[in-house]
Amino acid sequence: MSKISIPIGPQHPLLKEPLSMKIDISGEKVLGGSLRLGYVHRGIERLAQKRNYVQTIHLVERVCGICSHIHTTTFCQAVESLLKLEVPPRAQYLRALMCELERIHSHLLWLGILAKHVGLDTIFMHTWHDRELALDVMEEITGGRVLHGANQIGGVRFDLDESHFPMIYANLEKLRSQISGLLDILENEPALIARTKGVAPVSQKTIRQYGVAGPVARASGVDVDMRRDNPLPPYDQLKFSVVTMPDGDAWARTIVRAEEIRESLNLCEMILEDLPDGEVSKRAPRNVPEGEVIIRSEAPRGELFYYLRSDGTDQPARLKIRTPTLAALCLLPVQMSDIQVADIPVVLAGVDLCVACADR
Amino acid sequence: MFEALFYLLIFPGGFFLVLVGLGFEWLDRKLLALFQRRVGPPWYQPLADLIKLFSKEDLLPKGGNELVATLLPLISLCAVLVAGLYVPIAGFTPYSFEGDLIVILFLMSVPTLAYYLAGIISIGIYSILGGGRSLLQYFSYEVPFLIALSGPAVLARSWSIEGILTAQFTLGSFVLFQPLGFILALVGLIGKLKRDPLDIPSAKSEVVGGSLTEFSGGKLGFWHLAMNIQAVVGIFLIINLFLGWTKLANPFVAILVFFLEFLVIVGMLSSASAIFARLRIDQLAGLGWRILVPLSLAQILFVILMGV
Repeated sequence: MSKISIPIGPQHPLLKEPLSMKIDISGEKVLGGSLRLGYVHRGIERLAQKRNYVQTIHLVERVCGICSHIHTTTFCQAVESLLKLEVPPRAQYLRALMCELERIHSHLLWLGILAKHVGLDTIFMHTWHDRELALDVMEEITGGRVLHGANQIGGVRFDLDESHFPMIYANLEKLRSQISGLLDILENEPALIARTKGVAPVSQKTIRQYGVAGPVARASGVDVDMRRDNPLPPYDQLKFSVVTMPDGDAWARTIVRAEEIRESLNLCEMILEDLPDGEVSKRAPRNVPEGEVIIRSEAPRGELFYYLRSDGTDQPARLKIRTPTLAALCLLPVQMSDIQVADIPVVLAGVDLCVACADR
Repeated sequence: MFEALFYLLIFPGGFFLVLVGLGFEWLDRKLLALFQRRVGPPWYQPLADLIKLFSKEDLLPKGGNELVATLLPLISLCAVLVAGLYVPIAGFTPYSFEGDLIVILFLMSVPTLAYYLAGIISIGIYSILGGGRSLLQYFSYEVPFLIALSGPAVLARSWSIEGILTAQFTLGSFVLFQPLGFILALVGLIGKLKRDPLDIPSAKSEVVGGSLTEFSGGKLGFWHLAMNIQAVVGIFLIINLFLGWTKLANPFVAILVFFLEFLVIVGMLSSASAIFARLRIDQLAGLGWRILVPLSLAQILFVILMGV
């Protein structure tokens, strides 16, 4: 059969955000593909230089609609380390609680999208329903489902009191039972396994070459997790295990993410139990002393990197954000060969597309 | 003359089939929604969708053949409507003759071929892919489907559906002798209807809308209607071939039993689409030829040995 090239995007039922791939196919076989990015570039790094530090928190929260909290947390940590400001331990724990809730809902969202791409709409509906449990908790404690506005330089803007705990525990318990049911399905459903197992596996070597981090790397056997390797408080005091799988295919990524949800649920409960007393924020000065800093943290999709340089004023001199998705997206053209047309959605879903993150 | 027109336009043809087709779509969507923890559409939603489609602007991309694009959905609709005329409903059939099973099976295949042509004549890449896939899928499910449906005919020693139905009144329901054939027929029907999990030719995440990507307005409405009626005729056919129990003298009881059987089969189809992930086309071909065909051959061998 002759070679034809099909466009996936910028608008396609597969994609939630604009991204363009041209994929060469021959019959049902995929020969190769090329990627084009930049449809949702908003110039956030440049915009940050025109705003003061407080305004920039709200700007970086809008880098991504799914992992909004980790962006503000990392930014605040960068500013605080330049200010040499000691954040109260309670605030650190509350930040970590939000990060873990965010990881839970991001992974559930991803599981749903993968299931939808292979035609298992039931799992899509159920995971997105369960995801609301995590979002409800976030809304209850911060007031926002997606954009929380939870962080400020020097701490957090919300506090937990006794009345919150029953609801949070109840939702976490519900989530836990839903996740074990979900894992049971993912591990045993033959059609799902047939569609995801062995699809476009990525070797450990390729992962290292492309600098991919996060669940995608861990599913290929690369044991990397910023929460453990470069712990910012309170992760140095929390106990958790890093889930890895050796296979590197879509199925391994599914299992890694599902197990990570469990780990995050454990972490949430640990955080709630160990939650120290005290104040939740400290007053921060308006101007930040001259200097530069790099902060690396673990976003739901992998290593998030913030570089911040200050020139002593109340505005950042330079802010560089490197999101985990960009590296993962570069894997796509590598994976788009020796697969079938029906595997394209699985491969696309496998890297956990977040085009807004990648384009910024 | 009037009798024939009534059969053709009102019952069991035309109007009745359209009505049951829309009812089937609603039931299917509602059940699927319940499995997926959604609310689902109200009962008039399929009709509202159809009216909306017919009131919309009918566009065809430049280079498409208007005549063929209009004829293909109409031909499929006509084929399934004619097929519906010959399938007994609750034991009632206006026209029955030896060999009508074969005619119906042929008429039921027409929409698939029209679907393939609709993809191939189109200028869109997704349509061409979808059309090619529909033909590949046809070759995978059609053989086990036909063998499974010929099981009852062999057992009843008749190729008329009414003959098969009456044979079950003395022999007993054929689903008891051929449970495997019944399941294979259902799988074949899912493949024929391009329903989830065998919606490979129209998989949204892979080929957008399959062959129907470039269709809009009334033409798309006719396609949807044809597929719903095809589903209804297929279900009626399977009920007649496998689920005939006993001669019911009271027509109301007969209609009630027929309706309940219809509900059961719709429930089975809906749960299949809720439970299973979509297969890849090579996996479907493997399933069809490595598993379904040997199973259907084993079933028919059993039937032949039983008949001896």
